[in-house]
Amino acid sequence: MVYYLITCRSLTYAQRAARALERAGITASVMRTPKGLSKEGCSYCVKVSERRGALALDILRDTDTRISRVFLLYPTGETREVGL
Amino acid sequence: MIYLDAAATTLQKPPAVRRAVNRALQEQTSPGRGGHSASMRAAEAVYQCREAAARLFSVPSPEQIVFTHNATHGLNAAIKSIANPGDRVVVSNFEHNSVIRPLQAIGAEIVAAQSPPFDAGAAFRAFKAEICTGTKLVVCNHVSNVFGCVLPVTEIVALCREAGIPFILDASQSAGVLPVSAEALDADFIAMPGHKGLYGPQGTGILICKTAPAKTLIEGGTGSETKRRAMPDALPDRLEAGTPNTPGINGLLEGIRFIERRGTARILAHERNLMQGLTDGLRRIPGVKIYTAKDLRNQTGVLSCNLTGADCETVAETLNKHGVAVRAGLHCSPSAHEAAGTLESGTVRISVSVFNTKREINEFLCIFEQIAKKLRKA
Repeated sequence: MVYYLITCRSLTYAQRAARALERAGITASVMRTPKGLSKEGCSYCVKVSERRGALALDILRDTDTRISRVFLLYPTGETREVGL
Repeated sequence: MIYLDAAATTLQKPPAVRRAVNRALQEQTSPGRGGHSASMRAAEAVYQCREAAARLFSVPSPEQIVFTHNATHGLNAAIKSIANPGDRVVVSNFEHNSVIRPLQAIGAEIVAAQSPPFDAGAAFRAFKAEICTGTKLVVCNHVSNVFGCVLPVTEIVALCREAGIPFILDASQSAGVLPVSAEALDADFIAMPGHKGLYGPQGTGILICKTAPAKTLIEGGTGSETKRRAMPDALPDRLEAGTPNTPGINGLLEGIRFIERRGTARILAHERNLMQGLTDGLRRIPGVKIYTAKDLRNQTGVLSCNLTGADCETVAETLNKHGVAVRAGLHCSPSAHEAAGTLESGTVRISVSVFNTKREINEFLCIFEQIAKKLRKA
């Protein structure tokens, strides 16, 4: 399964993003950002299924929830950055 | 024990507070310090507490809730992010040393807006007279920790907004008792302890921030943006360096949930009802001088009194021997005593919480009457 990893500048921002998505009925989990994806050092991200990814980003925009970057996570473990 | 020192720390807590602290000690580590379950459980609890506090105090976003160790910590962080040496800072004459000492340490020019206790109109006029173009900051107590008098903070903030001056509210005695709305007040910072009217454990506090401050009080690990040498710009991390008090915050969450369920209006009504019984009873005891509002709507569950001819510490000590806990002295607020003429004598402070009962107040009054009689004879 392919996932969106939405990175956030802090744990609290990631939690806020996950809450906004859950309120909209999108399953979202907070996890550590894979080391290779976090430019600024340790951070947290929100993981959602690819199927709900575009909707999730719309919701985060609508709820004024600040995010840093977005990646696609493939079953192979490979990642690819998605433009915001 | 009849515990009447809630203005210092509430002793009786909702049972869920203790359970939450215990559970956190067993099941949680620190938020933002890993991705394992123990850390993520802590993260969830801490975020729930931010959400609950944001709800209770009408704060737009949970990240504006910064956890501190107490109100003093929050006030230091807020004051030191704004005030500079020589700055004119206007305060009420009911401020606690947690406001005065940081300002003194900075070297600010502290200007007290002088008014007698329980005269909100005079307090407002005093602030209006002192706030001028050179004023850099206004800090004000919502409720005096000595007399329980309520200050007209909404009107004082309006003065500050008009003049473009930052405002810090010390909600130490009002949080959990009076309505405190960050949105309505529009203060730059609101500091409060967790261990008084929010019924959380000692070592907890909240600083509500309108925006992230330019200056930080302490710096260190936050678990975020770790490659940067500077503190993160975003709240709450900017003001939360170091491992937080996760067990305490778990307890605070349950304290806040208790207040949400009970409602501040009901809590305040209960405390004022107890205060009415207390003031009526104390007035009947010869030799007792009480400092109270004519209209109890200007007072919360805090009352100061003195027994003529008796040292306030002796009264408190004698009460303790009879199983009653009150606090005597200056209560870390000497200027409030200056306003009431009790700087040399101090006062006996009686303060109630939602857990005190009418029966306890009646029992206290019987004990106090006996002590008054004895001390008068001596």
